[in-house]
Amino acid sequence: MAKEKKYRDPVNWKKELRLAPGYLILLLWITFTFVLLGWVLLASFSTTKEIFSNKLLASGLHFENYSKAWVNSDVAGIFRNSLIYSVISCSLLIVICAPAAYVLARFIFPGNKLIQTGFVSAMGVPVVMIVLPLFGIVANMGILNHVLSNGILLIFLYIGINIPYTTIFLMTFFSNLSRAFEEAAAIDGCPPTKTFWLIMLPMAQPGIITVTIFNFINIWNEYFISLIFANSDKLRPIAVGLYSMINSMKYTGDWAGMFAAVVIVFLPTFILYIFLSEKIIAGVTGGGVKG
Amino acid sequence: MKRNKGMIILFLTPAVLMFSVIFLYPIVRTVIMSFFKIDGITDPVSKWQFTGLANFTKLANTSLFRISMWNLLRIWFIGGIVVMSLALLFAVIITSGIRFKSFFRAVIYLPNIVSAVALATMWLQYVYSPKFGLLKTVFSGLGLDSLAKVQWLDNDHKFAALLLAYCFGMVGYHMLIFASGIERISSDYFEAATLDGANKLNQFRYITMPLLKGVFKTNITMWSVTSVGFFVWSQLFSTVTADTQTITPMVYMYMQIFGAGNSVTERNSGLGAAIGVLLSVCVVAIFWVCNHLLKDDDLEF
Repeated sequence: MAKEKKYRDPVNWKKELRLAPGYLILLLWITFTFVLLGWVLLASFSTTKEIFSNKLLASGLHFENYSKAWVNSDVAGIFRNSLIYSVISCSLLIVICAPAAYVLARFIFPGNKLIQTGFVSAMGVPVVMIVLPLFGIVANMGILNHVLSNGILLIFLYIGINIPYTTIFLMTFFSNLSRAFEEAAAIDGCPPTKTFWLIMLPMAQPGIITVTIFNFINIWNEYFISLIFANSDKLRPIAVGLYSMINSMKYTGDWAGMFAAVVIVFLPTFILYIFLSEKIIAGVTGGGVKG
Repeated sequence: MKRNKGMIILFLTPAVLMFSVIFLYPIVRTVIMSFFKIDGITDPVSKWQFTGLANFTKLANTSLFRISMWNLLRIWFIGGIVVMSLALLFAVIITSGIRFKSFFRAVIYLPNIVSAVALATMWLQYVYSPKFGLLKTVFSGLGLDSLAKVQWLDNDHKFAALLLAYCFGMVGYHMLIFASGIERISSDYFEAATLDGANKLNQFRYITMPLLKGVFKTNITMWSVTSVGFFVWSQLFSTVTADTQTITPMVYMYMQIFGAGNSVTERNSGLGAAIGVLLSVCVVAIFWVCNHLLKDDDLEF
């Protein structure tokens, strides 16, 4: 909508002048944002010496910061971990939550309201309330001692934590679809389960895409759960890995490498955002977050 | 109907089962744990010693925990006022008919999608750096040498530095919520008010603000829920374990239960559970107060 306006309206200078203070405030804020991100980006291509003498890029672009961070500090490893966690968790979240959301949005049955209330309340529960018993259970079961079972556990937790949000978000999409589709399918003799997978699920696609973007960003940036439950260096996701890397780089004094690592961590969600910012912003205010 | 029953059960089971394992069971168990003394987190229930409210009184008597609660309160209150004011201001500007609205909105929301670890590192290692920091460069460029010399990360300034960096990242989200609330208000109200001679400020005071009550409630609730879990920023900004300037209840809990180090005097998972219960009570209390103070007044619009 805003885009259309941009091309239609001729510049009304009187109106723009009245809005000048607003422009000024916003420009100050976003200038700061750009300086912050831009400087870090430039610093990641400079040498540590140049960073300290405030002469970024004085000796050209140093791509080796990235290759050093990627290989020597094993950013590649944590990057791969996070990618695996996010992709598997996001896909399974849809497989688990979409049917549940559909049933909750479309059918009246005892307990429906209770489950919805439970899911909504869970979104406000502090993580401290769940980590202690979960840790006790998995430590007793010996899950944390094996890399594979520990990895599966992490994915299981990422999925579980995001179930309430994903389900509630998708519910709004299903409840907005017309009932005519199901009725027509039922008349043609299509069983309800098949109706869901073949007709209703594809129609909720916009919601599925939006909620998957959010889940991806959440899981990619997840820190606390991973910090507690990732028992091996090999399993660390990007946020936890970056934290320990920053700590060690402070001692090695490789600031350029540290900024390169920050940029690598920042890039995937940033690229996603460049292409999908409108969808993400609509999603923040559209579904899920209720008053 | 019979066919539907089978489908309802089939479709709900995985989600409800996982919800019970990840949320329901742990929450109930945490509440129970908070009344027991539990030496090891993996101890079976038979080894738990019931101590009533001892965990809570112990927390109340631990100065480090009290400091952490005080820090959290300051983050919630001061940070809340700063974030809400800026978010509301930006939301009003964004919806006032400016050009490049989508662009401005997207850039302001941007910090919310960045990993907190990466964002905090940018602030710590660049903005606040005493050698090549942004603040130092800007202040010395303006000739404000006394400000340029400030060590932003020393004990006197660390908390403010932490709060500022955190708020910067949070404004975008709350701005979006406010902006969508403002956009839902029908323009008829403003047109009628303009015809009646009300200026912009009065329109904001008497139309926008009262109609945004529900949105305020959403924003305050969301802010409280995120503040209670304050952890990453605190961990990144603290230079020593149990840094009194930056410690929050979550950090204290993590230190007590999972952390190594000399600051742990006694291992008691019951204490950790009690912290969780305390924080949840805070969230519920804030929610309750908001619901009573900001009644929607059945304003339909």
